[in-house]
Amino acid sequence: MQSFRSHWLLLLLSIGACGISDAQAATPSQDAWQEVERNARGTTVYFNAWAGDEAINRYIAWAEREVSRRYGVTLVHVKVADIAEAVTRVLAERAAGRTSQGSIDLLWINGENFSALRRAGLLYGPWADQVPNAQLIDTKGNPTTIVDFTVATEGYELAWGSARFTMFYDSATVGEPPRTPATLLGWIRGHQGRFTYPRPPDFLGTSFIKQLLLVLMPDPSRLASPVGPDFEAVTRPLWDWLDAAHPGMWRRGRLFPASGPAQRELLAVGEVDWALAFNPLEALRAISNHELPATVRATTFAGGALANSHFLAIPFNARSRDGALVVANFLLSPEAQAYKADGAIWGDPTVLNLDALAPADRRRFSPAAGIPILPSEHLLTEPDASWSAALVQAWLGRYGVQ
Amino acid sequence: MKAVALTILLAVSGIPILAGVGITLVEAADPAAWSTLLHFPGIGRSVALSVWTGAAGTVLALVLAHLTVALAGTSTWARRVEALALPVIALPHLALGIGLALLLSPSGLLLRALSPWATGLHRPPDWLLVQDPLGLSLVLGLAVKEAPFLILMLVGARAQVPVTRLMLQSRSLGYGRLKAWWVSVAPLLQRQIRLPLAAAIVFGVTNVEMAIPLGPVSPPPFAVVLWQWFTTSRLELRGAAFAGSILLVVVAIGTLAVAMSALRLARRVHSHYAASGRRGRSSTSIARTLAILPGLVLALASGAVAALVCRGLSPMWRFPAVLPEAIDASLIERSAPSLGAALGTTLALGGITVVLAVGLSLWVAESLSRDSLWRRRVGVVLFAPLLLPQMAFLFGFQWLVVRLGIDGTWWAVGWEHALFALPYAWGIVAGARSALDSRLVVTARTLGAGLLRAWWAVVVPLLSRSVLLAGAIAFSVSVALYLPTLFAGAGRVATVATEAASAASSGNLRVAAVHGAAQAIAPLIALGVAMLTGQSLFRNRQGVPR
Repeated sequence: MQSFRSHWLLLLLSIGACGISDAQAATPSQDAWQEVERNARGTTVYFNAWAGDEAINRYIAWAEREVSRRYGVTLVHVKVADIAEAVTRVLAERAAGRTSQGSIDLLWINGENFSALRRAGLLYGPWADQVPNAQLIDTKGNPTTIVDFTVATEGYELAWGSARFTMFYDSATVGEPPRTPATLLGWIRGHQGRFTYPRPPDFLGTSFIKQLLLVLMPDPSRLASPVGPDFEAVTRPLWDWLDAAHPGMWRRGRLFPASGPAQRELLAVGEVDWALAFNPLEALRAISNHELPATVRATTFAGGALANSHFLAIPFNARSRDGALVVANFLLSPEAQAYKADGAIWGDPTVLNLDALAPADRRRFSPAAGIPILPSEHLLTEPDASWSAALVQAWLGRYGVQ
Repeated sequence: MKAVALTILLAVSGIPILAGVGITLVEAADPAAWSTLLHFPGIGRSVALSVWTGAAGTVLALVLAHLTVALAGTSTWARRVEALALPVIALPHLALGIGLALLLSPSGLLLRALSPWATGLHRPPDWLLVQDPLGLSLVLGLAVKEAPFLILMLVGARAQVPVTRLMLQSRSLGYGRLKAWWVSVAPLLQRQIRLPLAAAIVFGVTNVEMAIPLGPVSPPPFAVVLWQWFTTSRLELRGAAFAGSILLVVVAIGTLAVAMSALRLARRVHSHYAASGRRGRSSTSIARTLAILPGLVLALASGAVAALVCRGLSPMWRFPAVLPEAIDASLIERSAPSLGAALGTTLALGGITVVLAVGLSLWVAESLSRDSLWRRRVGVVLFAPLLLPQMAFLFGFQWLVVRLGIDGTWWAVGWEHALFALPYAWGIVAGARSALDSRLVVTARTLGAGLLRAWWAVVVPLLSRSVLLAGAIAFSVSVALYLPTLFAGAGRVATVATEAASAASSGNLRVAAVHGAAQAIAPLIALGVAMLTGQSLFRNRQGVPR
């Protein structure tokens, strides 16, 4: 993590900086937190989290055992296929007039889901700056921990892990990977049917077109402010690139995989040579689990990698609010963060500022944990949240009906 | 008694339906929602795709089912048909869909078996076979899934049709076996399965489980579009999703109407064929050729399961290897504890569902045994949950259970499962009850038996076959339910279906395959129990309809 800290200064976009100083609220008193821990004992916390990855499920199972042992809190992983299911449940509860005793205590969330729930007033807060371990978060070095897709979190969600856009390729067939849009286009045209990306509005597919747009635009600073009438002109380079690339893609661009993992499956059976992910260590773990060929490598665009964080949030009507706070605080502890960053466990980069940790805590992080296996450490922040929806809409308009 | 039975049934089924419909109507009352819906790119194509794939898949399934039952009815392997159809019915839709994709795609098991020795391929070719824009792979998948269901319904309907007498009469008039069946038995069977056939058509038009792995994506079938809108964080699409649900109901009903008039037309063609006077005595050779088709359905289903197993056993399955390079059972071992718990919950919920759905059906069917008008009305009400798109319906149900404060409990989940199992259980039990000769009960009563005794000693044994069948189907419906379990259970009641779907969502087919296999095992156990019970029951009961 330290290795690329200086590069954060190179962030092309630093929108939402206005919220940063506010979010550093006063630390809670020792007594108040002990009171929370006392109240939490014996409660059950229902943690609604995407359950599509075995390694993540095993990590959460470990957390269930730990919080039960340490704090007497029963943590239950409610496995959802898509966090939007949980969003729907919160909506149904509000529609039925249940303003307390809700069925969800803690949510794993970011981006559009957060901004949707926040706008609809369905989140409890601000709380995220009041749990003790929040002070350890590297908010200065990693602004994505308090600015989620350009929306200031304002204490309504707590950063849990960080991510950056990564492309995997099979080096046995690709060789030296193309790292600019122009060279990638050339590669796609020369290798019929061996490249693809998940179909927007899938999260990764949408991220891919945002990432492309960021590196295609001569000056991406326009993306920091909301979409305007200049949308067509601004996004022109993206559509030109996609128009040129689609005929050379998998199924000639008439079919796209449903999700990032679905595309990884295509890479695993040998239908394509590329896959996309938001976790640079995912490929490493997949190789060590024999899920991908050992020749798979990770790369990013030379122009920089799209970066963001993922978060924990508490619905407005959570039943065990104190329990949720205790669990969230534990998940932010150096021990839990180090265990999560371990490539053999999950490999999710930490959000903590390692320099601010006590030496003993810092040692928990193995040297490899903070070091990305990427050639580029140049990071790009997410465009303003309005761009996602507009880009998806335009993509569907152009390629959604064939 | 009739009033009490009806009230309870309507409370169980009608109230949630009202809540579902009510919430949908309220949410869809916004003109902006309709405008969003009707102006969405490709919406017309999506609707057309849903109608085409649903109708074509069901027609193909119906033809296959009649063919199978006719061939079975005119030969000695009649009993085996049922035994072969049941496992396919029990196979969850999503598992079958993913399995078929793993079998038929360019990197699938079929092409692997031929590569590279016959095709010369070392890499999977870039062919658009699965998820083709015309939806042909989806039509095939729907046919494979629905044909066994219709076969079972036709086999069940045989109890109400004097097959032996009709065949004897036709044969004595000089007709060949197959033509005799087509002309005399098949039309009567067809009349018995109208409700299940309607359910199959509606399922074909509104399903998402098969359409996701097999259906086209640019644009997807309409039901998939709605499912995407209901599960998106873009809350502005929610109104359009509810409006779309109403449109989907209209589309499903429209498809039903068209299908019914098509059936009327088919009946006219059929009577021409029946009245042609040709005896069709040479039909045995045709029969032998046609027998390949039902075999093909079974081959596709088994191939899909084989592909699932291959994928589940190996972490990596590179083309063109037919069998996984290295078999790794560690995933299954690791999943064992949570799978065991989920399997226990699934079996218990299935049991509750069977008791509720079959028990209620038996009771109400008894009290309405001579009231065909009310029987039809009850059938329509019970049928509604299958007609409404699940997502729209579930939001209303969720609202209801939250209001009652029972969300996240087994009560809520059992209630909802019963709701989805009732139309099937009712269709089988009420049909069989009304077909019973009413003189049997009258005879029992004149011999001095009370109402209850006449029912227990005469009616129940005569219905035992239908009850077992209804129970087995109610159980497999319960096992397959994913979204209803998730919603009513607030995500806390973990069954093999919820575990399988959350795994499948990741696109990690290997995990999904392991869970899908577990999901297929549970109903198979129940079917085995039902069959064994049936065998021991029928040992001393010759002549009971079976």
